[in-house]
Amino acid sequence: MGTLTLDALSRRYGATTAVERVDLDVAEGELVALLGPSGCGKTTTLRMVAGFIPPSGGRVLIAGQDVTRTPPHGRNTGMVFQSYALFPHMTVGQNVAFGLEMRKIGRAERETRVREALRLVRLDGMADRLPRQLSGGQQQRVALARALVVNPAVFLLDEPLSNLDAKLRAEVRFEIRALQQRLGLTTLFVTHDQEEALTMADRLVVMERGRVRQTGTAEDLYERPADAFVAGFIGRCNLLRGAPEGPGHFRAHGGALLPCLAAPAPGASVLALRPERIAVATEGEGLPARLATVTYLGAQTEYHLDLGGTPLVAIAPTPPESSRHRALAPGDAVLAHWDPAEARLLPAEPGDLPDDTP
Amino acid sequence: MAALLLPATLLVLGLLVAPMAMLFRISLNEYSAAQMMQEALTAENYLRAIADPYYRDVLGTTLGVALACTLLALLLGFPAAYWLARMQSRWKSLAVILTLFPLLVGNVVRAAGWMALLGRDGAINAALRSLGLITEPLALLYTTGAVIAGILAVVAPYMILTLAAVIEGIPRQVEEAAANLGAGPLTGFRRVVLPLALPGVAAGCVLVFILCMNAYATPVLLGGPQFKMMAPAVYDQFVRGTNWPFGAALAFILLVVTLTLTIIGSTVLGRHSRSR
Repeated sequence: MGTLTLDALSRRYGATTAVERVDLDVAEGELVALLGPSGCGKTTTLRMVAGFIPPSGGRVLIAGQDVTRTPPHGRNTGMVFQSYALFPHMTVGQNVAFGLEMRKIGRAERETRVREALRLVRLDGMADRLPRQLSGGQQQRVALARALVVNPAVFLLDEPLSNLDAKLRAEVRFEIRALQQRLGLTTLFVTHDQEEALTMADRLVVMERGRVRQTGTAEDLYERPADAFVAGFIGRCNLLRGAPEGPGHFRAHGGALLPCLAAPAPGASVLALRPERIAVATEGEGLPARLATVTYLGAQTEYHLDLGGTPLVAIAPTPPESSRHRALAPGDAVLAHWDPAEARLLPAEPGDLPDDTP
Repeated sequence: MAALLLPATLLVLGLLVAPMAMLFRISLNEYSAAQMMQEALTAENYLRAIADPYYRDVLGTTLGVALACTLLALLLGFPAAYWLARMQSRWKSLAVILTLFPLLVGNVVRAAGWMALLGRDGAINAALRSLGLITEPLALLYTTGAVIAGILAVVAPYMILTLAAVIEGIPRQVEEAAANLGAGPLTGFRRVVLPLALPGVAAGCVLVFILCMNAYATPVLLGGPQFKMMAPAVYDQFVRGTNWPFGAALAFILLVVTLTLTIIGSTVLGRHSRSR
């Protein structure tokens, strides 16, 4: 196992930039997820690490060694492909043994290690099957075993769960994470599914149009997003365009004056406020608002508020049936209250807000 | 649904099976200079063809040329097919058309072109002479090499397109997985691409071998009067010698040899691709 370093890694296709100066350090045994919408450059980045795409600029270092010019077969990375990419003409055992054969490991040791790897992914006794005789989940585990058995310096996962059904996906997510932690695998993981990234990764890299928007833990990204894109991409968020008005207030384009964190970031033009941090009450303190819709979601209830032309979404645990709050209905006058520290002022680029009209 | 097969079945019965049956019947007749042939049931024509060293030689040449052309088409065609199959640009359909281009020209016209290129006063000899590299023209035309080159140009597109169709079905990621696990390009080809492409290799070789075995215009025009392959020999018997029974027997020998080798070849390749 080793570290992985990306140093100003870039990839251009003609005039378009797929990946722009990505810097990243993955520590030994750390799992870092590359997260972003499709076309954000996350897969291109992973493929540059594996060596399938030559970078236009920058460097890739594995265990401190510059491998930027090393062909894929010389990099000692273990990759699990989205389609699993098992060799259809080889048995499960031959698939797993392939990397060991390439490393000129003797038959006896090869057999022991293949058996161990298959036990690790709970496929003991399946060595003589062909890939097409296995279920999707089992094929995926063969792909894991095949990549792990060679003790790669870096473990690469390209959307490995996207071909599994929802129930299996949650299960395999935990399995991969447990395996990765037990073996101390330095891992780079590509996904477009934020829940997957949040539950599995030590750190996340949010990418958009080839650039890294923010790198940090799940908590960093959720609680302290760097910009409006990250705030909107990770979890749900009210994002309101407007401008700071004096310290501690923000004038939304809809007209409402909203309390917020006192010191705005330079260039801040968007107020970001998580729906579950807004309390909806009928008395006490808060800004007067009118309920537009009330949506019962079981454990939670979603309230769409109208603050004199400025829309806000609030989410709260559904009140018990005995509570007066349970009777809240569209048209009711309520008070919306939040800790000003929860309302962050963030910079935003055109297109960062879902409802941005270009 | 079975009714859908009726027109095709009638066509095959009427235009293939019936003439073949008639031809087979003719091959059992006796030759007669006066009446062309005489009703009989004899294996005489077959025995004569097998016993005659001349025709054994013709069959040997045919087999040699067909095998050489098949092998060369495979060796030269595989890289081209791979390139074509992995091509992602918008020029791909143009590349396919260019591959098919030799088939747009008829066999005779193409052979005439080869003659203009390879003849005593052809383009190659003229160029070499004007460069002062030779004084006497090289014998390029009317050689086995000329025939092989000529047939190769016809069959290569079949080989390339058959292989390309199968290679396109091999996911690129499977090749990448091999590289990721430490296989260099050659090892990856040998262990992953080639075994997965074997059905295409079998189909391409069978198709090309049959075409080569039955080549007519190219051996006649590029091989010259001394060079004989089976299809021209059959023609000679029917048209020049007017010995229909013997010609029919030669035709059936050609058919049986081609069929036998095709079945053996595809069985061997088929078993290989299943066991891997």
